[in-house]
Amino acid sequence: MEELTILEIPDRGTLPGRRFDDSWIRAISALCFVFLLGLIFNSGGAFFEWGTHRDMLRQISVIGILACGMTLVVITAGIDLSVGSILGLNAVLFALLTLHLAWPAIPAAGACLLAGLACGTASGALIARWRMQPFIATLATMVFTRGLAKSISGGEKVSRAVAQPDGSYQYADLPGFFLWLDQKVLGGNIAVVTLVFLACVVVCWLLLSRLRWGRYLYAVGANEEAARLSGVPTGRIKLLAYGMAGAFSAIAGICQAVQEQQGDPEAGAAYELSAIAVVVIGGTSLSGGQGRIGFTLLGTLTIGYLEKILSLNAVSEASRLILTGCIIVAAVLLQRKRC
Amino acid sequence: MKLPSRIVLLAWFLIFALASLTGQQKWVIGMSQCNLGEPWRVQMNADIRKAAAENPTLTVIFKDAQNDTLKQRAHVEEFVNARVNLLIISPKEAAPLTAPVADAFRKGIPVVVLDRRVLGNEYTCFIGADNKRIGQAAGRWIAAKLGDQGQVVELKGLMTSTPGQDRHSGFVEGIRGTGIEVIFEADMKWLEPNARKEMESALAVHKKIDLVYAHNDPGAHGAYLAAKAVGRDKEMLFVGIDALPQEGQMYVRQGIVAASFEYPTGGREAVDSAVRILGGKRVPKEVTLPSRVFTSENIDKGGEWLDIKAAGK
Repeated sequence: MEELTILEIPDRGTLPGRRFDDSWIRAISALCFVFLLGLIFNSGGAFFEWGTHRDMLRQISVIGILACGMTLVVITAGIDLSVGSILGLNAVLFALLTLHLAWPAIPAAGACLLAGLACGTASGALIARWRMQPFIATLATMVFTRGLAKSISGGEKVSRAVAQPDGSYQYADLPGFFLWLDQKVLGGNIAVVTLVFLACVVVCWLLLSRLRWGRYLYAVGANEEAARLSGVPTGRIKLLAYGMAGAFSAIAGICQAVQEQQGDPEAGAAYELSAIAVVVIGGTSLSGGQGRIGFTLLGTLTIGYLEKILSLNAVSEASRLILTGCIIVAAVLLQRKRC
Repeated sequence: MKLPSRIVLLAWFLIFALASLTGQQKWVIGMSQCNLGEPWRVQMNADIRKAAAENPTLTVIFKDAQNDTLKQRAHVEEFVNARVNLLIISPKEAAPLTAPVADAFRKGIPVVVLDRRVLGNEYTCFIGADNKRIGQAAGRWIAAKLGDQGQVVELKGLMTSTPGQDRHSGFVEGIRGTGIEVIFEADMKWLEPNARKEMESALAVHKKIDLVYAHNDPGAHGAYLAAKAVGRDKEMLFVGIDALPQEGQMYVRQGIVAASFEYPTGGREAVDSAVRILGGKRVPKEVTLPSRVFTSENIDKGGEWLDIKAAGK
């Protein structure tokens, strides 16, 4: 019986949320709720301008990219606390390679992707091979990679100021890639970083809904033992999930470095929590086996708009935290099947 | 089987004894830093290391408490137990670190307190700059630059921290009585990505901004990037604080910020005081560090000293 159910999972139509069911409506309702707040508190009409939305989309893209990887991990009933630190490591690495060592952008980005993939795969190996709890394994990766980021940067921001042996500074030129990635295209209407985020969403969507390995992710999250007995390579599937989360974190790290024009070893601290919040607000369950990348896109927009509205209205930090807490609860309650 | 370990021990003892006999008088200074996550504090340690390297009799042991009060307390206790000759501490918070510092002081270890204070007077000397005066100077400079009127965005440091509060209240005093109006203020928590986000909101809400006053240079740089992205960077000036060589001073050189106000680390002064104390000389109980302003006109001359002492104490 157990094997039968698991074999059915890859079939179209039986996956939770595979049809256009009411879970979509619930995910959208949370976004609408926050959007409505924006329409009401529009800060003298600033909310009605496209520039505001374009900036919001750029600001939330880094969190969104992290959330893409987080979604894959959460679907396998795991969690990845290391995404923020891997972001920091790769922001530093990318800045170091391009600004200080004058590498061209493409090999530098490739090196970062490999580094991110390696960090993620290391977490995956701890979880799949050595049966560590995802929380503990990725916590270890989180502190380890943060240490690595601080170590290779010497504890300082890797900026365009390159220290010379005599203690003075020389200023490196900003590589064209930085300007290219941190620009707006399509008539200045959308940031390239946002397009990178959307590309990550598409990659996840292809994996989750078109490829067998994506369906295995759901199977592992729904019932790992049953999945294993029905021939799903559960170990490799976990390696895939955490490895991809690491690679997405590396992409986010490059985007962060480009926007800051430097590599900050502290970059991405506590971003993992925002990424988890985005995934959950979208409607993907932390208990695994279900969820969609589209939900994560909606969750990203929800959190992005929330932050933007609070910022536009120059709400004080204390009220911001209180309101964010309340609105997250309201948004999640709105999505529940029975309130 | 026991012989080798004894020989090793004996050899160690001999090496140690020889080293202490032949070497000249060596002073060991313990430096307890509260958090090396901030570039300014990295600079402080670098300044101390550089100043100490010029004096061969000094050895400095650095410890980083990673923004953890209890860890810093443990570090102070470790230095006391290790019998360092002098302790330099840049405490994370006053109240919880007062007792360990006083304890070290009572055990005869001179203590130089850097940047942030401890309570009471059981330490040898305090060295620090005055954020409020620097904020004031920034306010006065901005008022003069804008001709006593204009619309200013203030990007504040973490407002639960004293430097953030002082840089704000000093600035408010500096522009008092002028036509300078703060039209948008936000807490960017010292972080550049936050500053950029808040500045984008300010730009969306306000069609005319004359100047951005950020409580640190990364904040000013983040604001600049936001304004540049919408092609409004030429419309306004950017002013920051800290003026680290690789941050604020670089931004001034690149023409990104109009002025950066130095917040000196006091690292060199701390080592100078330490040498005087170890040499048996007296040092003043309290030293307020002077500060400079860097602008495009004076950056090649090493900045211009601010008239902070004259503000009176």
